[in-house]
Amino acid sequence: MEENKKMCLALFSGSLDKLTAAGVILSGAAADDMDVDIYVLLQAARAFKKEIATNRDELKLAENSHLRKEFLSSLDKLNVKEWHEFFKEAKEVTNVKIHICGLAGKIWGGEKLEDFIDLADDIVGISEYITAAEEADIHLFI
Amino acid sequence: MTTEELKTLVVNKSVDARGTACPGPLLAAKKAIAELASGEIMEILSADEGTKKDIPKWANKKGHEYLGTVEESGFFKIFMKKK
Repeated sequence: MEENKKMCLALFSGSLDKLTAAGVILSGAAADDMDVDIYVLLQAARAFKKEIATNRDELKLAENSHLRKEFLSSLDKLNVKEWHEFFKEAKEVTNVKIHICGLAGKIWGGEKLEDFIDLADDIVGISEYITAAEEADIHLFI
Repeated sequence: MTTEELKTLVVNKSVDARGTACPGPLLAAKKAIAELASGEIMEILSADEGTKKDIPKWANKKGHEYLGTVEESGFFKIFMKKK
């Protein structure tokens, strides 16, 4: 059988809009049976913390922050999933691994894997990311 | 296939994805096709304009056969045959 294409995603942003965009891209990769490695870097690591991930009020918008209310009500009206639900669904459909950067975790008080949502697979160092980026067919930084 | 042929086509599975925007219908199609046997036919109902291009492209890329799209009132049906 042909080997799956690989996507490597460096997820830096912890903003609701960029996390949602990452989730939509992830869905496309999942539909395409790609193997995806996500490296959760600095700001994103906070969003992946258990007490933060499901709390919209904790997450800002990266752009058009003055339109937050309209943006969120549009997402709801269009029945768009919460950002972490995109990640969950993609994991159910294809091979997605979510790696938390060790430094980023520490910055936000997350020392152990249990401090992050259950979707997170492990806590890693930066060389893992470099290797995955080298081997990937598609490499994104969000 | 012609529109008339598509309208009379007997489908093995119908996926109603009208409640979701992109990428909802695409993932719904991806999940549903796994439940079909080779050669079986699936229709996807969607009201999301982007999906009209998305699903045929995806279907062909994955080796399935895109059969055509039929416009209904306020939505459309996309037909495909599993490889």
